[in-house]
Amino acid sequence: MSRSTSRRVGGQGLWVWPPVAFVLVLVVVPLVYIALFSVGLRSNIPGTKTAFDLSNWKDFLFGENNPFRALFWHSLLITVLVSVAVTIAAYPLAYFLSFVAKKNRYTLLLLVLAPFFTSFLLRVIAWQIILNENGVVNSFLWWAHLRPQGDSVTWLIYSNFSVALVLFYSWIPFVALPMFVVMENMDRRLLEAAEDLGASRLTAFLKVTLPLSIPGIIAGFVFVLIPTTGEFITPLLVGGPESQLFGNQIQSFFSDSPDWNYGSVLAMTLILLVLILMVIFGRFLSADLRRPSTEGA
Amino acid sequence: MTSRLGNSLLWLYFVLMVAFLFMPLAVLVLFAFNSGTTPTLPIEGFTTKWFADAFSNTDLTSALVRSAGIGVIASILATAMGIMAAIGLNAKRVPGESVAIGALLLPLVVPYISLAVGMLILLQALKFKNALWEIALGHSVIALPFALLVILPRLRSLDGSLNEAARDLGASDFAAFRLITFPLLLPALLSSFIICFSTSFDEFAIASFLYPSGQPTYPVFLYGGARSPAILPQLIAVGTLVIAVSLLIVGFSELGRRWAERRIEGRSAAPADVSATDNVATT
Repeated sequence: MSRSTSRRVGGQGLWVWPPVAFVLVLVVVPLVYIALFSVGLRSNIPGTKTAFDLSNWKDFLFGENNPFRALFWHSLLITVLVSVAVTIAAYPLAYFLSFVAKKNRYTLLLLVLAPFFTSFLLRVIAWQIILNENGVVNSFLWWAHLRPQGDSVTWLIYSNFSVALVLFYSWIPFVALPMFVVMENMDRRLLEAAEDLGASRLTAFLKVTLPLSIPGIIAGFVFVLIPTTGEFITPLLVGGPESQLFGNQIQSFFSDSPDWNYGSVLAMTLILLVLILMVIFGRFLSADLRRPSTEGA
Repeated sequence: MTSRLGNSLLWLYFVLMVAFLFMPLAVLVLFAFNSGTTPTLPIEGFTTKWFADAFSNTDLTSALVRSAGIGVIASILATAMGIMAAIGLNAKRVPGESVAIGALLLPLVVPYISLAVGMLILLQALKFKNALWEIALGHSVIALPFALLVILPRLRSLDGSLNEAARDLGASDFAAFRLITFPLLLPALLSSFIICFSTSFDEFAIASFLYPSGQPTYPVFLYGGARSPAILPQLIAVGTLVIAVSLLIVGFSELGRRWAERRIEGRSAAPADVSATDNVATT
């Protein structure tokens, strides 16, 4: 390819550094501040003495029956369960788009993605309207005389169910995308070969398509897992006191019941969790900007 | 035979899923025009009064204006940074390339809640009061990776010989950029702007910690209003408009893609595939 050689003039590479500095100032420095707060080297209460102090970390990590640590595991469990459910539900969508909907697949893909481009907050509010105690579902049941007037289905909202449902709903489009891309780049000759060798469609799927789409499946899974670990808007709107997530606890440490030092321990934990996930799964995310393009290589 | 049954089942699944995905949006549209004061069934009657109410509610309209302003600033800034980063990464040799890439993509993975509280404590340490420009800065940095991921593939797909020709004809670096690269990048810059704007316009975490009191952004106002039944119908009405605009943008971009695809197909068959996958990657 001639295009790769001609245009690259020395010195252009320097342009990358102003944006990197921008990210350092606006993302890395705030994270450093969180780290400093978490070990007591800074405080938001004027006049307090600050000194290196790991007691908050000790309490969070090893304190007996620490409620925040329990919440962390509870949140992680919910997030993982939702991510698995979303991945399973999105796979047939991606498969349909790539293998069944031949000609119009990009338009149909866009139909799946379109809700994702609308306001997340508005969609959560819409679910609140649907699931509310006197919301769409309950008022429909009353109207259709399926339940006595005023008797609402209680687990519909302010429950783990509602939080999980809304998270599930929100992420399906986004997860279908990486799977679809992987399937589109699959070598279709392998499927033809399987067919020529007498494999049924199911066998060909199980032995060729499914194994080859594993990178897309993992990418999709991580695409939900990472952003939902810090999720707090959904539980605020459709969750009850028992269904708040780790992100909500961070938020409340910085607003209603301020303890910035302890809150920083939790915020830092979340960042470390994401970094660990990136170390484990990073190679499945295709945002490798170094290679011009995998096709044609 | 089984194959046909399988295909029908997949079609059915697809249709049900799309219905599920659009159902909450449809519910919002339904209640935007419902004359009842609470969003419950049965529907009482048709009205457009909630739209009129919404637009005479200055708290709501000024929140919208605030968010639009923040969105414009954030997306211009993010797109400008995205261009710089893309040009840098497109160079033959970038010292410290993996560090740079890691830093540029970092905002994609840092949880917004952690970033929000981090910005809050940093700004307070610097003795800054909460301000709208701080929100715009925060939004521009979370939008930067999106800008980069849209612009860089487009820059890489450009024909380098055009730039070389310009320079052979005596154009300076800047002139070659302004006259050749920039116009060719315009579609990607437009996509970048739209994606960054919608990211900012919908962002809640950073805004909720950094907004000055009495000056909420639209999502912050929306969140507060979702709990007060009196203004909920107005919020639904405006929300319907916001959703309609987003869907129109998506629709137009699809028409644009189909149009471009047909033009390319007219010329030759081979590049059509490449452009199609490119487009999916950027949407």
